[in-house]
Amino acid sequence: MTKPKRTHPLGLFLHIANSIKEYWFLFILVFTLYNQPIWFALCWAGIILAMIIWPATRWATLSYRVTPTAIEVNSGVFVRHHEHIPYSRIQTVQRKQWFFLAPFKLEELYIETASHDDNKPEARLAAVPTTLADTIDGYRLGATATETADSADTKETGNSADTDTAPIPATTPVTAHYRINNRTLLKFAFTSTGFIPLLLILLAIYNKIPRSWTDALIDDATHLALIALIGGAIAVVAIAWVGAFLWTYIRYFHFDVALQGDQLKTAKGLFQRNTITAPLTRIQAIRVKQNVFRQWLHIQTVQVLLASKAASKDDDDDLVILPAVPQSQLYDVAPPFVGWLPDHTPDLSDLNVADRRQWYLIRNALLIVIAPVALASFFLPHWMWAFALILVIAFFQGRFAAHQTGGGLITPRMLALQTGHMWTKETYYLPVNMIQSVRLNQSVWMKRTGLMHLIVNVRHGNKNQAIELRYLKSEQAQRVYDWYLQTV
Amino acid sequence: MSSENHHLPDRIKLIWGISAVGSFIALLVLTGLIWLTYRYWDWPLWILSTFAAITIIEPIIEGSLIPYRYRFTRYQISAVAVEMQSGFIFKKRVAIPIARVQNVTLNAGPLLQWQKLTKVSIATASTNHGIEGLELDEAEALRDQIMRLAREARHDQA
Repeated sequence: MTKPKRTHPLGLFLHIANSIKEYWFLFILVFTLYNQPIWFALCWAGIILAMIIWPATRWATLSYRVTPTAIEVNSGVFVRHHEHIPYSRIQTVQRKQWFFLAPFKLEELYIETASHDDNKPEARLAAVPTTLADTIDGYRLGATATETADSADTKETGNSADTDTAPIPATTPVTAHYRINNRTLLKFAFTSTGFIPLLLILLAIYNKIPRSWTDALIDDATHLALIALIGGAIAVVAIAWVGAFLWTYIRYFHFDVALQGDQLKTAKGLFQRNTITAPLTRIQAIRVKQNVFRQWLHIQTVQVLLASKAASKDDDDDLVILPAVPQSQLYDVAPPFVGWLPDHTPDLSDLNVADRRQWYLIRNALLIVIAPVALASFFLPHWMWAFALILVIAFFQGRFAAHQTGGGLITPRMLALQTGHMWTKETYYLPVNMIQSVRLNQSVWMKRTGLMHLIVNVRHGNKNQAIELRYLKSEQAQRVYDWYLQTV
Repeated sequence: MSSENHHLPDRIKLIWGISAVGSFIALLVLTGLIWLTYRYWDWPLWILSTFAAITIIEPIIEGSLIPYRYRFTRYQISAVAVEMQSGFIFKKRVAIPIARVQNVTLNAGPLLQWQKLTKVSIATASTNHGIEGLELDEAEALRDQIMRLAREARHDQA
């Protein structure tokens, strides 16, 4: 048996950087306390403890060992943790390599299983040699291959391979490969909706600008006030949108996905290369997603829902396997990666919200916004036209949702569902053995009109993803429910 | 185990009745505290009267809804799935295949223990579902059935 190893000293810097990210507010505290010497000193002591001593002890006490059957991670200062993760239980392996770690052949490694104890990965190793992940990958491919073979066999292959070199060289051929081209990536980044949260932050900052400044500005140029206002609004939107563009572009830079054996491997990122490996067999569902801007440019995003948090920085916490595929090519590009996806655009007209049922979705969208809008227009009467715009947006959102709702059985063991939430069309492909439960909701009024809501639950990250199709006809919803009960 | 639609055991109505009385007592205590603030800190009277009204109305509604709640809450356990149904105004029906069940938890507070009933909560890999009260032996049979099926299907996916 090899002795447990420490991570590389550079890992210490990553630990420190992490602590700074977590306790940055202490610096602000220091500034507010500069005229109270005792508290000032105490605060500095706190900073030194939190940002130097604590990360250093964490680093010094963290060690790991790779054995043929499992990876062991020992950590903890006061309470010692001994984590023991068998290869066959690993959901995802995530490798993050900052550009400054590349020359040292180091990277950060996150290993996750399906247990949903807390939101932390089971193992986080800062700055370990890149060969480690290859070794683990080798063992994992071995583990899935020999899962049915007897245990004696596995032990034998393991004993010869106690060293750091990959025992089972990754000779498993790559069966499918896709790399995003720059033009599609530009389109993808261009249509990112990430600017909306950024916009809200900018607006909040705008509100913090002292009133006297803006008043002075308006006094100086009353006749220019409207132009200034509109110009300012456009500038704020432009800044938010450029920010979102760069953010998306840098994160998905040189996006690359490959299928090797039964492991799906995605790599992306400019400054930090982020590589995630996940087994195909652990995929809970597939989601094809398209916001309204991407609908105009005809590009779609394909994601896999996994039972792990590895992809928590991706869209909606789900692992993106194809960020942007031209709509017409989707069903040629995607099936080589996930064999059970259909090879042509499926017919989703079996479940739908057509005719006057559309009205219910429009009505609900309006009902959600009407009270806030009424309240806001009461207090700010001269902004009424802007609030009226919100009503119009809500009306079309309801219509959008109704139009996008769809679904049906693709094969006897796979259901497809499509929804239209928040101006985003989402198509889910759900194998029956991954659906955790199915639910029907019906109010008394819906009983009279013969309508039902259908809710299908699948696991996603450490949580539940409820896919809800509202205002289906009772018999449509009931058909899915019965199919589910009969096929499981 | 039979697969027709079951009501919850009769005695659950008694439990619900007692818990309505319990919420009455809890609200009464709260109203008492509010009365103290009114008496000594000069809190406005309307707060006190609102709480007093809630104290009277809430247990009455809770109590009067018991027969309906009982009538429209049903469950069904077959060899492959557990189905639950509840509510009249908002009717909900859910199907949980036994093969997806990760664990079954039985728990009973003092009232349920006294009536030899138990709450059952069924967890899948992503959701939790509960039956408000089952006969102890029936709950145990359900648990054993699920455990047996789980042992058979050891080649799990999650």
